[in-house]
Amino acid sequence: MSSKGSSLIEAKKLCKSYFNEGLETPVLFDIDLTINSGEFVAIMGPSGSGKSTLMHILGFLDHFTSGSYLFHDEPVLRMNDDDLAKIRATRVSFVFQAFNLLPRTSVLENVLLPLLYHPTIAASERMDRAMKAIATVGLTDRAKYLSNQLSGGQKQRVAIARALVTEPEVIFADEPTGNLDSVSGRQVMEAVQQLHEHGHTIILVTHERTTAEHAERIIHIRDGRIQEDTKSFKRRLAKEASTLAK
Amino acid sequence: MHVQDLFKTATTGVTVNKGRSLLTMLGIIIGVGSVVLMTGVGKSMEGVILGQISILGPKSMALWPGNQGPEGGPSTARSDFDALSIDDIEALRSLTTITSIAPIIQMPGAARYGREEMTPSTVGSTPEFYQNQTLEVTAGRLHDQSDEEAARAVVVIGSDVVEELFFGGNPIGKRIDFGDRKFTVIGVLKPVGTQFFQNADNRMIIPFNTAQALKRRNYIDMVTFQAVDDFVVAQRDVESFLRQRHGIIPPADGSTENDDFLVRTAEQAADTLSTVSMGLTVFITMIAAVSLVVGGIGIMNIMLVAVTERTREIGLRKAVGARKRDILRQFLIESVYLTLIGGIIGVAGGLFFSYLIALVVHRVLDRYLFAVNPASIVMALFMAAGTGLLFGIYPAKRAAELSPMEALRYE
Ligand SMILES: Nc1ncnc2c1ncn2[C@@H]1O[C@H](COP(=O)(O)OP(=O)(O)O)[C@@H](O)[C@H]1O
Ligand SMILES: [Mg+2]
Repeated sequence: MSSKGSSLIEAKKLCKSYFNEGLETPVLFDIDLTINSGEFVAIMGPSGSGKSTLMHILGFLDHFTSGSYLFHDEPVLRMNDDDLAKIRATRVSFVFQAFNLLPRTSVLENVLLPLLYHPTIAASERMDRAMKAIATVGLTDRAKYLSNQLSGGQKQRVAIARALVTEPEVIFADEPTGNLDSVSGRQVMEAVQQLHEHGHTIILVTHERTTAEHAERIIHIRDGRIQEDTKSFKRRLAKEASTLAK
Repeated sequence: MHVQDLFKTATTGVTVNKGRSLLTMLGIIIGVGSVVLMTGVGKSMEGVILGQISILGPKSMALWPGNQGPEGGPSTARSDFDALSIDDIEALRSLTTITSIAPIIQMPGAARYGREEMTPSTVGSTPEFYQNQTLEVTAGRLHDQSDEEAARAVVVIGSDVVEELFFGGNPIGKRIDFGDRKFTVIGVLKPVGTQFFQNADNRMIIPFNTAQALKRRNYIDMVTFQAVDDFVVAQRDVESFLRQRHGIIPPADGSTENDDFLVRTAEQAADTLSTVSMGLTVFITMIAAVSLVVGGIGIMNIMLVAVTERTREIGLRKAVGARKRDILRQFLIESVYLTLIGGIIGVAGGLFFSYLIALVVHRVLDRYLFAVNPASIVMALFMAAGTGLLFGIYPAKRAAELSPMEALRYE
């Protein structure tokens, strides 16, 4: 993991349009954004403002239309398919709002999945890592359950275990609590919080203020443009209080 | 991705959705199975037909009243059923191009011994009949010229007649009731099985003169004879001889349309049979092709139905780091699994059913034997593998070329 504070993500004039049958839908307009290693960033904004689209681009899951995106100062446009696959396998991971677990497949196998494509983690290490990740989200006793035998909250925790099993630098989470009741939502956010405390960079989409307040920085998006980019006040207070206590 | 992981992933891919895998395999099983079955049946039938041809010696020929021969229906239903008189046959003996003339009178009716009764196919014919049909005895003797001269009430019987009337016991010297007379059994024929789709062991032969005395008629139902040398020469000779005797003028094109008789050589019979056999092969090949297409469409459908789910799966695998080649290899191995297993089951099933059919048909059609057509098995397997691979890999390749999000959004 690279040192805290150095520039991890650097987007300049990033634009994205969807094209469907020749019809262009512009969604993101000239996004300028820098995120440093170790940050916990929340992205907020009304539905349809382009939050997910931005996350997918920054998380290497979709192409952008114009502008530039530097990841660790490397231009993403210059990367080929295999380079991108390698980054997805080793350095970033994604928690989807819709979980996206493999159907009819056990919790354990879902969590093992990214390790199959990891170039350096040895096969002998996989089981330990997967079980550790499952323990982190508190699902050890559900490891053998099939994904469709779980509640929504449990599914999202499996998705988080799957995201952290490769110990990536950045975890993208797109409304991870959006489909959950408040108790499950809180459990999921605690897991996310822990990841941040372990040094992972977290980029989180939410439209709940209480959820966003876990972050140190909140970016507001409206109609595909960044409107506001602020340090979270509550969070800063809490941090200062804890340093004072020490 | 490691090779072991690849195989494990593909195995999971096949087993995790058993319904889908089974349906895909079913297409392959049906396609391959029916090709193997149909071509096997075709080959067995070919064996039956080729067997028929070898029964007649190459120089054997036959002559029927009426210009359609045996295809014209039952003898008494034909308009020219009495066209060949015994005088005609006597006159034919003057020809030098033919020999071994055996006139035949059919003798329908039941045969009895004690309380047992059956209806064999009985003919009255001369001793030449045995030569022309290459018949031999396993017990007793064939009837000879002296039996003919005395018009004796003797009979030579087939092995099935021995079974049915004598329960396999020794019939020689026993007296069978047939057509108000008692016939002494003098010989038992060597079994020959089914000939021209009829049971040839179910027959009785009595002297021609005895039959004629019983029937009191002066026309015959069929004649067998042999060409002395060339059977084409023999055929022409018989035809022009009979046309002259019957005052028939053939049409200008030389066809046999005006004739009231029909001459055939064993070779022509063989030709007819091989035409039948060819037709059969074409028919079976068509059925096989249809089954392959049906199987192929089945495979295609299942694979296409699965495309949405599999495209999302591909998107997810790519999102967690799978490379394009990891995806392609996984789907390649999955397709190979399915087509291989389906192909093997299909071949086994096809062979099993053609064996069953052979078991049953063999009872009525003696020369029908279980047969395998290896070329068609290979072809069917290749076709199945081709469809399986095409419809397994092509959609996977397309999905693998999308960005992970495009694949995950696919519906
Ligand atoms: N695949 C797509 N094709 C066309 N338009 C899309 C597609 N995905 C999203 N959009 C449009 O892009 C805009 C932003 O969507 P999204 O990024 O999902 O917003 P958010 O996550 O902020 O709700 C919306 O107007 C949506 O309709
Ligand atoms: Mg969204």
